[in-house]
Order: sequence, then C-alpha cells, then structure tokens
Amino acid sequence: MAADPNKLGIFVTSPQNMRHVIGIADAAEKAGKTPMIFFTYKSVHLTKDARFKALADKCGEENIAICADSYTCEGYDSAADIPAGLSGKQMRTQAFHGALLDECGKYIVL
Amino acid sequence: MKILQVYRSEPNDNVKTLVGILNRDRDADEFSLNVESPDYDTLVAKIFAADKTVCWW
Amino acid sequence: MESLKVYILIANRMYNDGVRSGLGLAVENHYAYPVIMNGEFPSFSTYMSENIAWVKDMEGQVYSCGAPAPDSCVDEEGDKLIDEISLEELGEAMRDADFIIPYGLSKQTNEPPPACAE
Repeated sequence: MAADPNKLGIFVTSPQNMRHVIGIADAAEKAGKTPMIFFTYKSVHLTKDARFKALADKCGEENIAICADSYTCEGYDSAADIPAGLSGKQMRTQAFHGALLDECGKYIVL
Repeated sequence: MKILQVYRSEPNDNVKTLVGILNRDRDADEFSLNVESPDYDTLVAKIFAADKTVCWW
Repeated sequence: MESLKVYILIANRMYNDGVRSGLGLAVENHYAYPVIMNGEFPSFSTYMSENIAWVKDMEGQVYSCGAPAPDSCVDEEGDKLIDEISLEELGEAMRDADFIIPYGLSKQTNEPPPACAE
C-alpha cells in the first residue's frame, strides 16, 4: 500500500508538546488532511491532559493510539485506566508507529 | 529534494552541524515552534510542500 | 512494503527508550539506527543489551556519536555492540534516511542528582 499523500503522521515522544500536537492536528484537518498520531514513552502522560479526549475524538479510532507498554512503564494501569477518548483497541505496540510510517505521506516528530 | 527543518527549541551546535549537512545542495526551508503562538497553518503547508521534515528537539 | 531507513537520535539520558522504539521498527522490517549522542548512555541492563543486539541482528545498528562506545555493552565474543560514528559521518548517513527522529528531549544542562543518576 502506498502512503496516503494527504495523511500526516505525528509521532509524539516528548511530554511537553501538547499545544503543538493539537495545533498541528487542527491545522491539518483545516487543510483537508488527516492526522494520524502515536504517543510513546513519556508522552503518554499527555493522555491525562484535559484536551486529550477531544483530540482522540477528532482523530477517530483508526488514527490515534498510544504505546500500551509505555503507559504501563510510566505507572498507569493499561487495563483498568484506559485514557479518556480511547478504547482498548487503541492501546497498541510500536507496530502502530511502523504502520504510521507506511501510511502517511508526511510525518513530523514532536 | 525539498527539506524542512523544524525547531522546538533554539538549535545547539550539533543540530546546526547536522542541518548544514542535510540541507547541502537541497531546497531547504525552516520553521520555529519556539515562539509564543506558532502559525500552525503555515507549518502544515510547509510540511506538505516538503519531501521530508525533520523536527528537532 | 518498502523497508525504510530510520535514524533515532537520543540526546538525553532519560530517552534511551528510543532503542526500543527502533527495535519496534526493525521487527516491522525497517532499518533502524538509534544514535546515542554525547555519551547519554543507558545503564546496560540485560534487556537493553539484548535490544541493542537484536537491532543489529535485524540489519540495523546502534551508534554512539560524540563519545567512545562503552565496553559494558558487548556480544558473547566480547565485541562491542555499539559502533562509533562522528557527527559529520552521521549527517552524511542521514542524507539517505527516510525518516529522522530526534527522540524525546534535548540534553539537560545540569548533571543529574544522586536521586536519579543511576
């Protein structure tokens, strides 16, 4: 499958860029593009930001996920405390990042 | 090849060296996120105009 | 699916998880090159050393840029698992990269306090 030229992958690895994640996702949507976002390692703390649920709702189940192992490593309960806006199916592995690289025509790290 | 360099903070000497090598003989653009109110619309337009984006720390 | 060349730059001692992230891409048939910058090494637990070896087995490579590769991360023959690369060599190599990932946060100004130094 060729990468979708209208899809923007956002790989979130830092815990301090929520305003950029939201700003870029919103701007992409406004421009008619589709954001696809993966949160890993310490960026999973951003799931506790009050703005996370709206971001997750906007992206939809197929286009936003977090690393379940990272969530557990950071002390959260990946079974009993799934972040607001996500389902259990969005508690993923690094394979989601691989899919993001394959599917997205454009890509940014935050 | 169009390459876009995005900075989340002021680039240090290592980053400047790497950017210099990556940009050599290429159509290079840049964008700073290290401002109070980044223009995300402009950033997204630049990302989609570029072949490759590198977003530094 | 095309195999992609991905460089993951680790500049902060707290973000050596970039090695695991690289391994995750390696098992998806991509070429992963985690680069530990300026000696910001992890403690080489069995888990970390195995991941570094596994990246190599999957045709990737973990590099050290700006500091000698440590003697404490070796294979069964005693050979270093981490290769050294200069900043200029890294820049040239990354010109061929499909993706460059500056991972996590930049280097800290202060040395870590004893509470989190190990």
